[in-house]
This record gives sequence, structure tokens and C-alpha cells, in this order.
Amino acid sequence: ISQRAKDEKTRKLLSRIIRVDQAGELGADRIYAGQIAVLGNTPVGPIIQEMKEQEQEHLETFNKLIVEKRVRPTALLPLWNIAGFALGAGTALLGKEGAMACTVAVESVIGEHYNSQIRDLMEDDPEKHKELIKKLSKFRDDELHHHDTGLEHDAEKAPMYDALSQVIKVGCIGAIWLSERI
Amino acid sequence: MSTSTGDRNPPQDTSSGPGGSASSQTSNGGYNTQRTGQGAQYSDELDNSEDLVSEVEEEEMPEETEEEYQTKQAVLKASLPFVHQYGWTKKAIVAGAESLGMPSMVHGMFPRGGAELVFYFYEESNKELESFLKQKVTELKEKDEKIKTGPFIHDAIETRLRMIIPYIDKWPQAMAIQTLPQNAVQSWTNLSRVVDDIWFYAGDKSNDFNWYTKRGSLAAVYKSTEIYLIQDRSEDYTDTWNFLENRLEDVVSAGHLARNLQETNTVLSEGAKGFCVMVSQVPTIPKPTEPNRNDK
Repeated sequence: ISQRAKDEKTRKLLSRIIRVDQAGELGADRIYAGQIAVLGNTPVGPIIQEMKEQEQEHLETFNKLIVEKRVRPTALLPLWNIAGFALGAGTALLGKEGAMACTVAVESVIGEHYNSQIRDLMEDDPEKHKELIKKLSKFRDDELHHHDTGLEHDAEKAPMYDALSQVIKVGCIGAIWLSERI
Repeated sequence: MSTSTGDRNPPQDTSSGPGGSASSQTSNGGYNTQRTGQGAQYSDELDNSEDLVSEVEEEEMPEETEEEYQTKQAVLKASLPFVHQYGWTKKAIVAGAESLGMPSMVHGMFPRGGAELVFYFYEESNKELESFLKQKVTELKEKDEKIKTGPFIHDAIETRLRMIIPYIDKWPQAMAIQTLPQNAVQSWTNLSRVVDDIWFYAGDKSNDFNWYTKRGSLAAVYKSTEIYLIQDRSEDYTDTWNFLENRLEDVVSAGHLARNLQETNTVLSEGAKGFCVMVSQVPTIPKPTEPNRNDK
């Protein structure tokens, strides 16, 4: 396989990863914003605020990478902006447990997703992508920390926890699939 | 929206079609002899036609090698001078191949015919544009000057369109070829490359939906100017460059309009909120006491 084709493959992989990660972090940031809009004044508010700030940091990293690596951002960004806020606010209206359940579901999908991206990058060229792999690993650890925080705060006591969790997970996977392509 | 567009495009994208090159057919050779070898048993083989069909589908076209790619590029490059005579057609490719001493059968490497020549020219022009832009940015950096977006973009588009001028006699045909449905995706990819390169070197740092609006508006400017160019009869096409300037101004004023509308919207909504608050306070205003009619 020629060097040209190999470079092309790497470029496509990187584009896909950065595009979907930027969309994901924007979505996560907006979900937390929606939750804060409802639960901001409750005792769980500061915890959600802290998680939101970490997502914001992640988002800034990917915003920079989009420009640096000349990646096309997903055209669905405005959609995820609105949908994320709606999901956050909607689950928060079910109470603090609902909000936490949403967090757990989303973060578990994102954690798995980061892992598969790290695997893809290692398969492609571990040396070349060292920086990016390091960043993704740190972000994955942050997301799993959020996941555990959600569980600590009674996520599983949410109404219809299993159904809610499944629906949100499927939605996330669909959003990821779309953002990788569109 | 096609998946391959928008991202920085691959350097070249001539794909190997079903015909393929001579070397790729040898990999099918084994299958072919199987099929035609036993003449007497051919009717028996027809009963197994499902197997034949699935075998065809399983044979994957091998990827184009570097050697094939370089050969194709050489042929297309040699074919360009013949465009004036034969247009963007297979005939031009054949003439180009023959001028290099290759057999005319080489045109089988180009299943899309004249379109391949158009894409080759477009992609080479895009590469030339990119090196022009890179150089310009380097020059400005050395002089420690800031990039003035408006003039930069104007120069970029003018430079790119001027590359068409040597072939302007046959460019309408090229544009028509690009609008054919089977060529539409590649054409759109090529156009995206132009506007993405121009914005990137102009210093665009957008990472949200503005990325799309900027490139979309520039693509519209480029396309409309290209259409104007092919019917322009003025000296050195000065009318075209004026047209370009006007279109770019339209884009700028549209941006201002959008911003003004947004500000107006903010002012109006704040005003409406204030009015609602005021109205909601009305019940709290104490009623003025009635003057005692008996007082004199």
C-alpha cells in the first residue's frame, strides 16, 4: 500500500476522531448546562458545575485541534447544542437521580468510545499519535470519574433507571455515528 | 452531504475504475480461464450461475499502485495541450498518450473519459493555488504584516480563475461535464478544496457552524464569478474582477446585516421583557382615592 494511501487513511481517521470528539464534548457541556438550569440551586449544583467545567476544558482542547489539524467540524453542531441542553434539562426535571442517571449513561458510552479511539490510533501509528493518545486517555479518565460520581449520587435510584439508561445510551451511540460522518 | 468532502482533500483522487489497468486484470485471469475453459460443460456451469455471480462480487479490485498513478498523471498532463483541438474528451487523452509513445488503448485506464482530464486539470490548478497562497502568507509573515482578509480572498480567487483562462475556449464544456450526476461528487469535492484552502490561508480559525457559512458563501462567489468569466469579453477580463469585488462586498454586507439583525433582536426582546414586567406591575399600583363629592 503506497505511502500516499497510508497518509490518506491516517488523515481520515484523525478527522473522524477529532470531529466526533468535539461534537461529544459540546454535547456533554450542554447536557450539564441543562442540568444546572434546573438543579443549579440545589446541593448537587456545585458538583454538576465542576463536571461542566471539566467538559469545557475538553471542548477547548478539541476546538484548538479542529483548527490545528484542519478538520471539518460536524454540521450537526447546532443540533447537538439544542438536543444536549434539552436532554440535560429533561432528565434533571426527573430530579437529581434522573440527572445523575443521564450522566452515568452518557459517560459510560463516551468512556467506551474514547477507548476504541485510542485502540484505533495505536493500531495506526502509536508513535505519531502519542500526544493525542495521551490527551484522549486523560479525557477518558475524567469521563469515567464523572460516571462514578453519578453512581455515587444515587443515579440508580432514578425512576425507570434501566429504560432511561438504555434510551440515552442508544441516542448517544446514534449521535456518535452521525457526527463521525456528517 | 458526502462523507469525503469538507475535510482537506486527498492530493489526487483518480480512482481505478472497473476496467483497471493491464496489471490489475491478471488477478482476475484465473477466474476468467475457469469460466471459459470447459466449453462442453458450459451449460452445466450455467446451473451454478449463482456461484458465478458471487465469485464476481468477491473479487475485489486491487488498489491503484504508485506506478499506475504516475503513469496516469503523465498521460493526463500530456493530453492537456490537445484540449483546444478535441475538447475534454477521450480523443484528447488518446492524443496525449500517443504523444508520449504509448498505445491508444491506454485510454482504458480512464473509464470516466474526458471528466478525468477535467479533474486532473482542476486538481493541478488547486495545487498551484495552494502553493501561491502558502507563498503569500510566508511573504506577509516576513514583512511582519497582518493578512487583510478582503484583498487576500480577492487575490486568491482571481489567481485561481486566471488559471482557467488558457483553456477558456473549452471551459464551458468542462463546466458542463462537472455538472453530470456521475461527476457531481468529485466536482463538489474539488470546489470545497478551493474554498477551504483559501479560508485556511486567509487565517480562518472558526470551529463551529461558521466554518460552513464561510465556505458556502465563498463557494457561491467563486462559482458565480466563474460563470461570469466564461462570457466576459472585456480587456484582460476586468469586468470579471469587478464582478468578483461586488460579490465579495455582498458577502460582507450580508454578514453585517446578520449581526445587525441579531442586535436588533436582542434589543427588541429586552424591550418586550421590560414591557411585560411593567404590565405585570400594574395591579400593584394603588388606585387613586376618589375625591369626596360632598366636599366643597
